[in-house]
Amino acid sequence: MADQGKWHFTMTPTRKLLLLLGLLGVLGMVYRLVAGLGSATNLNDQWPWGMWIGFDVLTGVALAGGGYSTALIVHILGVKKYSPIARSALLTSLIGYLLVMAGLFMDIGRWFNFWRPFVSWGYTSVLFEVFWCVSLYTMVQLLEFGEIATEKVKKGWHNLFKKMLPALLIIGVLLPTLHQSSLGSLYVIEVGKLYPLWWSMLLPVFFLMSSFFVGPAMVTVETFLGARAHGHKPDISLLQSFIKISGYVMLVYLLLKVVDLYYRGAAGLVFAGNLEGNLFLLEMVCGVLIPIIICFTPQLRNSVSGLVTFGVLVVSGVILNRMNVVFTGMADFMGGAYFPSVIEWLVTIGLIAIGVLGYLFIVENFHILPSHTPGQAATTVDRVKTKTASA
Amino acid sequence: MSKGVLVDLTKCIGCGSCSVACKMWNALPYSQTSQQQGSNLDADTWTVINRAEVKKDNEPAWRFIKYQCLHCDEPACASACFSKALKKTKEGPVVYDVSLCVGCRYCMLACPFNVPKYEWDKAFPEVRKCQMCANRVYNGDSPACVSVCPAGALTYGEHKTILAMAREKINGDGGYVKHIFGEKEAGGTSWLYISDIPFENLGFRTNVTTKPLPEYTESILGLTPAVGLSWGALLTGMYVYNRRRNEIAKEKEKPGNK
Amino acid sequence: MDDQVKEDKQVTRRSFLKMMGGLSLAGITIGLTGCSNTTTMAEQAGGDGWLPQQYQGRGNWPAQVRGRVPIDPDNPSIVRDDQKCILCGQCMEVCTRVQTVAGHYGMPMADDIICVNCGQCTLWCPTAAITERDDTQKVTQAINDPNKHVIVQTAPATRVALGEEFGLPPGTWVVGQQVAALKRLGFDAVFDTNFTADLTIMEEATELIKRVTGEINAPLPQFTSCSPGWVKFCEYFYPDLLPHMSSCKSPQQMLGAVAKTYYAKVKNIKPENIVSVSIMPCTAKKFEAQRPEMNDSAHYWHKKDIQDVDVVLTTRELARLIKQQKIDLSKLPEENYDPIMGEGTGGAIIFGATGGVMEAAVRSAYFLITKQQPPADLFNLTPVRYLEGVKEAAVEVPGVGTVKVAVCHGLSNARQVLDAVRAGNAPWHFVEFMSCPGGCINGGGQPRSSVPPSDEIRMARINSLYQADAKAPLRASHENSEILAIYEKFLQHPMSELSEELLHTSYTDRGKKINALTS
Repeated sequence: MADQGKWHFTMTPTRKLLLLLGLLGVLGMVYRLVAGLGSATNLNDQWPWGMWIGFDVLTGVALAGGGYSTALIVHILGVKKYSPIARSALLTSLIGYLLVMAGLFMDIGRWFNFWRPFVSWGYTSVLFEVFWCVSLYTMVQLLEFGEIATEKVKKGWHNLFKKMLPALLIIGVLLPTLHQSSLGSLYVIEVGKLYPLWWSMLLPVFFLMSSFFVGPAMVTVETFLGARAHGHKPDISLLQSFIKISGYVMLVYLLLKVVDLYYRGAAGLVFAGNLEGNLFLLEMVCGVLIPIIICFTPQLRNSVSGLVTFGVLVVSGVILNRMNVVFTGMADFMGGAYFPSVIEWLVTIGLIAIGVLGYLFIVENFHILPSHTPGQAATTVDRVKTKTASA
Repeated sequence: MSKGVLVDLTKCIGCGSCSVACKMWNALPYSQTSQQQGSNLDADTWTVINRAEVKKDNEPAWRFIKYQCLHCDEPACASACFSKALKKTKEGPVVYDVSLCVGCRYCMLACPFNVPKYEWDKAFPEVRKCQMCANRVYNGDSPACVSVCPAGALTYGEHKTILAMAREKINGDGGYVKHIFGEKEAGGTSWLYISDIPFENLGFRTNVTTKPLPEYTESILGLTPAVGLSWGALLTGMYVYNRRRNEIAKEKEKPGNK
Repeated sequence: MDDQVKEDKQVTRRSFLKMMGGLSLAGITIGLTGCSNTTTMAEQAGGDGWLPQQYQGRGNWPAQVRGRVPIDPDNPSIVRDDQKCILCGQCMEVCTRVQTVAGHYGMPMADDIICVNCGQCTLWCPTAAITERDDTQKVTQAINDPNKHVIVQTAPATRVALGEEFGLPPGTWVVGQQVAALKRLGFDAVFDTNFTADLTIMEEATELIKRVTGEINAPLPQFTSCSPGWVKFCEYFYPDLLPHMSSCKSPQQMLGAVAKTYYAKVKNIKPENIVSVSIMPCTAKKFEAQRPEMNDSAHYWHKKDIQDVDVVLTTRELARLIKQQKIDLSKLPEENYDPIMGEGTGGAIIFGATGGVMEAAVRSAYFLITKQQPPADLFNLTPVRYLEGVKEAAVEVPGVGTVKVAVCHGLSNARQVLDAVRAGNAPWHFVEFMSCPGGCINGGGQPRSSVPPSDEIRMARINSLYQADAKAPLRASHENSEILAIYEKFLQHPMSELSEELLHTSYTDRGKKINALTS
């Protein structure tokens, strides 16, 4: 183990770029807080929710779903063979949620009042449940991370955290289950406003399932990215069996979607040839159908390219699904036009950059990855970067 | 008890007194566009009169449509507010308390009629919409817009009374369509409209659900405690079971391995 | 190990529940202390502005005077600035009670906001939220265009009111200064609407004689047609009586038509290069000039896109233009109208006052029938003068007998006469209608010298007109030398084929825009 108090973080050109993007993002955030939403964003009365809610929050929470799905599989169901992935999944999830909180904080108009729902209980609102669950879950994840952190700092607390861990793990699966579905429930009140291809009383179920099956896909993508960055080989056999869990959930998801569409009489809209229909098809075919085929074709599943394709398709599919619900499906009713402003982009990109930097720092200073010893990363990363630069 | 306003669209002469009264009573500033007909609600324009150019018996006809918050009996906005900044008062108005507002704008998204608007140009914006002059109503006066109407197009009174009046009118021989907009829409609203032209031709959202919107979310949120408890119990059970199983497996392996 | 886990879990659960309980308690406490109390919200939510006293504390009882008149955003005559409107209800009062337009049609409406464009509301509005539609920009543009020949005509009534905008007493006679100001503003020629007022008398008196003798098949009494607000009122509310309406255009439209034909020919100017401006006491004239049929000069030249009168300015707009140029009207010398269409008689001057058209018509009709100068009492026909709502007179004309006439002003008074005609109880041969109370001197475009208009100001202006008539060298329209000239050189004789083409018009039945009042 590395010496206590000695932190490693070597700057590389990429990291400098990320730092720059992060700083720009911070500047954007300061401007937004000072000048207000109108001047910082392109939000308007037709489009009260934009990129920060649609992408940073709704999509961010879904993609951070890898944390709870891995925790469920590894810790609750006790499938210990996936435990090497568990810590990195927890970390990405934690960082994801912190970014979601930051995005949310940027998006609320009266940010000094963010604590109101803790005392003024609007319990009839889905957002109330989301708010409580997300804040508690972030707290739980911080505590879970505390168990990892105290391996290195404040070691005296480590035993306490270790004792708390089982309860934290259970709550840490329970809360996301509730709010992942609630994010779908948010749009249940859009009845008649949200395009019928997406609006359904089953929205919470769809959101929950997609946040679950995107977990292994996200872990796959992260593992390959991380492996490339840190120059070690990902465990393909582990991943290929891991994504099968996704595959089964996706099968049920697909079936449920089809049944739901027919039940509500909206199936005809799929092939209407309009923007909504085509984007729905894209989302379902590329994001669900093709990945299922990859998943249940052993040759494809066992290849690196197959795994990467699966991961990228599923993640993009879920992103597209959330974008469709927030933007495509609402466009017809809301009218008007919305495209994120420069500052909205800067903040979103900046938040992601900060997240990536945070992830790298923690990975290199704490025991997150199984084959990785803290303190040795920088050189390998440098090597990889020079490789990409020369290519 | 609960009050309401009946808008008889056949009687509106399009003078716009109501929109001026709203500006005056609520001390709302004018913008460049707010005087033009065809303008929309915004943060400083809580009611508008728009001209619908339609046909009646194949002859061209104009109808003036007053538009403002309909003050749903079970408001979606209030149910969507997670800090209780929006509430339905017992007198009828759906009112807003800025001190409780976080600024999430879920109310704007939830409203089936796209009524709440936002002060985008402010650093600490408020959600803005017609409050049915709640303080006037509380003190027994009619809302400002109703008090100034010279055409008798707006009638204020007990919700029950004006609903009965609306029924009587549409069932008489005034040539009204047999539809009271707001009687069932979104589960019923404090503001009711009657017209001689079908509402869909006048730009009304006639395909809105007749079930109160909060019921949709309630039916899901109502499951939360049950789902949460049983899922929590299941998770705990599984955790304990699998942990024990792993322990046992380890115990069994121990002597052989070490 | 197993027990340990269970214990840990219980402890954390308990602490979690404790935390939740604590938070909810805090929430309830704050709720009870009134932060989210709906009653407080009902008391406090809503306006903190003001409304006029008439709307306060009335419970559910209606305010007696309330609201305002509807104004179409495309109304050519009047516009309203909502920011200045205080909902005092005065426009509604004058429109409903004096002009009997608002509230006198049934609902639901057709595709028209009923308005006769009289502009009386602009004289009653205490904050000047309702004003004439400002067309001064168009005039400035035309004057600044070197390719345009900009002519202007001034109505009889502006010369006794314009001075009020420059601090002169009501009714001050400023005809010469007005011409001087217009020339300084850059108009190429300044004409007098009095010229075509005389022309109107020649045509209208001839038409009357033809109706009386049965030469044309049209009913009696004949109605005057020079007040465009009145004409539109009749088109809306009494379309069945439109055959009574004289087919003569108003003096403004006659001058517009002859300017782009007769004057264009004499001066050899292309009609499309002439910009015809008129200075009127009237907002309805803006509407009249835009009527699609008012383009007879276009027909005459077989061209398109020519309107007889291009821009109408009210007296108030002219005053605004003069003030913008920092010209002090009261200090200007008196100048004369330009020839060909600049001469007017005393009969034309009194067109500006209620009864004036009738008096002038009687003078010339007497001459046209008898070929003799009318007796002296026809030059002081007091029964049709001044502010009584409906006035009647009987004139003995040799060879015809007793000619009975009536005069009314203000559209509520017009209704009395019209209802009598409709009922067949009308003994008159000829009736003069003026939209505005007092006639053109109190038109909707006149200076707001008292708000709402007072009889004192009306009388000052009327007296000024009659004094000028009394002093005029020529007092009957048929004596106007330029009138004689235009008939000799161009029109041939009253109601000739060309006269009919250029000086006469037809009317639109607007009855369908009005639904009969059911209640």
